[in-house]
Amino acid sequence: METPLIEFKDVTKRFGPRTILDKVNLKIYEGQVSTIIGKSGTGKSVLLKHIIGLLSPDEGSVLFRGNHIGSLKKSEWDAYRVQVSYMFQNNALFDSMTVYDNVALPLQQTMNLSKSEIERRVMARIEQTELSEAVYKYPSELSGGMQKRVALSRALVTDPAIVLFDEPTTGQDPIRKNAILAMIAEYQRKLGFTAILVSHEIPDVFFISNRILALYDGKIVFQGTPVELDELEHPFKDEVIQSLEGFQEELTGLYSQRHFKVRYQADLSRKRRDETYAIVLFSLEDLEAISNVLGHTTAQEIIKAMGAYIDKHFGAVGGFSTRHSINEFVTVLPYSDLDEAGRILEDFAKDFQDRGIRDIESVAQKETNSAECIDFTILAGLAQGKPFVEMESIIEFAKFRQEEIARFQCELRR
Amino acid sequence: MKKYAMETAVGIFVVIGLLCAGYMTVKLGNVGFLGDDSYSLLARFTSVSGLRTGSPIQMLGIKIGRVNRLTMDQENQMAVVEFRINKGIMIYDDAIASIKTEGLIGDRYVSIDPGGSTDELLQPGGTITETESPTDIQELISKYAFGDVEK
Amino acid sequence: MTTNSHDQDPGENEVTGQPGTFLTRPFAGLGRKVVSWVNHMGAAAIFLGKACIMIFRPKQIPAIIQQIYYIGAKSITIIMLVGFFTGMVLGLQSYHALVKFGAQGALGTLVALSLVRELGPVLTAIMITARAGSAMTAEIGIQRISEQIDALDTMRIDPLKFLISPRIVAAIISFPLLTALFDLVGILGGYVSGVVLLGINAGTYFHRVQSSVEMKDVTDGFIKALVFAVIVTTVCCYQGYFTHMRTDSYGAKSVSLSTTSAVVLSCVLILVSDYIVTSFLI
Repeated sequence: METPLIEFKDVTKRFGPRTILDKVNLKIYEGQVSTIIGKSGTGKSVLLKHIIGLLSPDEGSVLFRGNHIGSLKKSEWDAYRVQVSYMFQNNALFDSMTVYDNVALPLQQTMNLSKSEIERRVMARIEQTELSEAVYKYPSELSGGMQKRVALSRALVTDPAIVLFDEPTTGQDPIRKNAILAMIAEYQRKLGFTAILVSHEIPDVFFISNRILALYDGKIVFQGTPVELDELEHPFKDEVIQSLEGFQEELTGLYSQRHFKVRYQADLSRKRRDETYAIVLFSLEDLEAISNVLGHTTAQEIIKAMGAYIDKHFGAVGGFSTRHSINEFVTVLPYSDLDEAGRILEDFAKDFQDRGIRDIESVAQKETNSAECIDFTILAGLAQGKPFVEMESIIEFAKFRQEEIARFQCELRR
Repeated sequence: MKKYAMETAVGIFVVIGLLCAGYMTVKLGNVGFLGDDSYSLLARFTSVSGLRTGSPIQMLGIKIGRVNRLTMDQENQMAVVEFRINKGIMIYDDAIASIKTEGLIGDRYVSIDPGGSTDELLQPGGTITETESPTDIQELISKYAFGDVEK
Repeated sequence: MTTNSHDQDPGENEVTGQPGTFLTRPFAGLGRKVVSWVNHMGAAAIFLGKACIMIFRPKQIPAIIQQIYYIGAKSITIIMLVGFFTGMVLGLQSYHALVKFGAQGALGTLVALSLVRELGPVLTAIMITARAGSAMTAEIGIQRISEQIDALDTMRIDPLKFLISPRIVAAIISFPLLTALFDLVGILGGYVSGVVLLGINAGTYFHRVQSSVEMKDVTDGFIKALVFAVIVTTVCCYQGYFTHMRTDSYGAKSVSLSTTSAVVLSCVLILVSDYIVTSFLI
């Protein structure tokens, strides 16, 4: 087994009479997105602050690549700290400095770089985070989402190997929330850093996380993949996840994955053995390219519009849908066999190409005033389900049979 | 542009401040920094009460220097005063230094009668031998007021 | 959390539980107050020491210039205004006191010496406390409660080096310069009220000013200005920097309370230290 990048061994932290962390053990692996979830006020931020050394444990130890960080030499500690960035819950931007100065500050103060080199790096980050028009504005002149992006580019400007995000999405609307998460995921892929998030946007954050760590009552009660979390039997799950995960997914208004499964089980149990049903898997291709050209917000708007359109169309014939992954939707048509579902899908495809695309287009146009444009395609795959076949394998099969049902082309727009 | 204006303001502030501080030390604090244009003389008094460092020295009512230092010669029970006299002021060895008061309760100052019956000038560091200590106003008043009673 | 601490607070039970505690209680309270004061003094001294060490780190010059701008350059007008009127009122009051003894000629002496020795350094320090000191506390306090200081920590920028050291240097540079300005403008104010308005001989006035002020008076004034500079910046920065440690309030309220106590404490310490420094220098 590989050595974890960061490991907590029996870390205990008390503030006065309160024990915030009680013998916490956890492992975080290199190159992954790890998310710490838990109710608010249970010490998630405290945990994060131990990693960067803002707090030190009362008992136990924090290990970095197997070395106790409390006993690192000064030079080693510096070398470690250079690699770690922290994005604060409330951004903690310097409100008397411009965006440029905010982003440039870590470079100016801690590294010996020439002015032009600093400018090059800062401007590169600012462009990547779509802040070019706000370079010389002050943080208070920016919207909440833009402030978040400033904080993000400030955290990333030093090219860190580990980035800690303390509730990056709190207080944002659903689209922004998903846009920020998508942005984190994208940079994580692009730059290859290890991301550690604290969040309680339960369903949304699962789409981008490799590992989930659940903090409950001062202890880590779960660490594993999001899929493994589904099988967890612990009061944590009832208490935390169910309270945080809404009935509907915030962005698309579709069923959340769990409620989708509940509905699925309920519908299925009423069926006889020989009855069949159909599952359709939709996916939006080239999401990353869309994000790059039109921006993360627009990309999330498109996903939202697509979800709404699917729900409208299939809901009318008794189907129900959920968001399966960041760019995939699953729809179950419980009363249709493959042929009927094929016809419905055909109708949908026709309708979608004629009108749905136009809706999405208007969303895209509204968000981006420039002449930027990108082609994207929507795929759909159909599979027949039987009561005793696992849903996952039906979805796999549907994915295998996906083909293009709609295409958005720049030429058509003109 | 903004940065430039700030640096200019700081520059102006520092220059003004330094000018003020310089004026205070040089003019008010009486510190000559462009070479010393005075020489020193000593004088012994039986009392220098009321005189202090910096008190003016006058000759014929014109200021010619200042008191530089007050020390004590315990052997002879005398107060030794060091004067700084402007260069070019000639004082002969029969000069008389007397401590006087400006007005009734004004500051004390030293008045020098340059002398001149001999031809010998006092050299820097020389001593004025003839001195008059200040008249003690209190003594004067008590003599005047209680003079009869004492008799 | 509040309920928790309430349950476990031993003081609550003691009062009702034991007879006679109402007698010892004031002394215990006083003792705690003294201990906390001594703690704060120690913490402030360490704070100052650390910040002073950080002065000599690289990349400090631009920050220092910026602070001189806020502490020094922007205070010129107010210092001149206050200095001028202080001198004027000094001239006016002393004239009426001196004229009774027929000693109005000594007006220059009185104005110059009181300004250079006492009023200049003290009033300058108090004015800068009100103008720049309060701003320092509020700014640092807000940076503290909005986690900007923690953010500096995570970026490996020492907050003391970044926020405090430049302010100390700037204050040490600005205070004596502003004091000198105050003194001279004050003497000019004395001239205006004494000579222009009340008709004392101008020559006498300036002669008295010049002959009465000694180098020692000037250096003593500057020493005081330097002492006040260190006291004011330490108190104001300390109060702002540890805003979050206040137990009586949180958030914006704690910034306002910190600012108030920084200004009050600075002014008190200016006057107390003025007495101490004067008694050492005389």
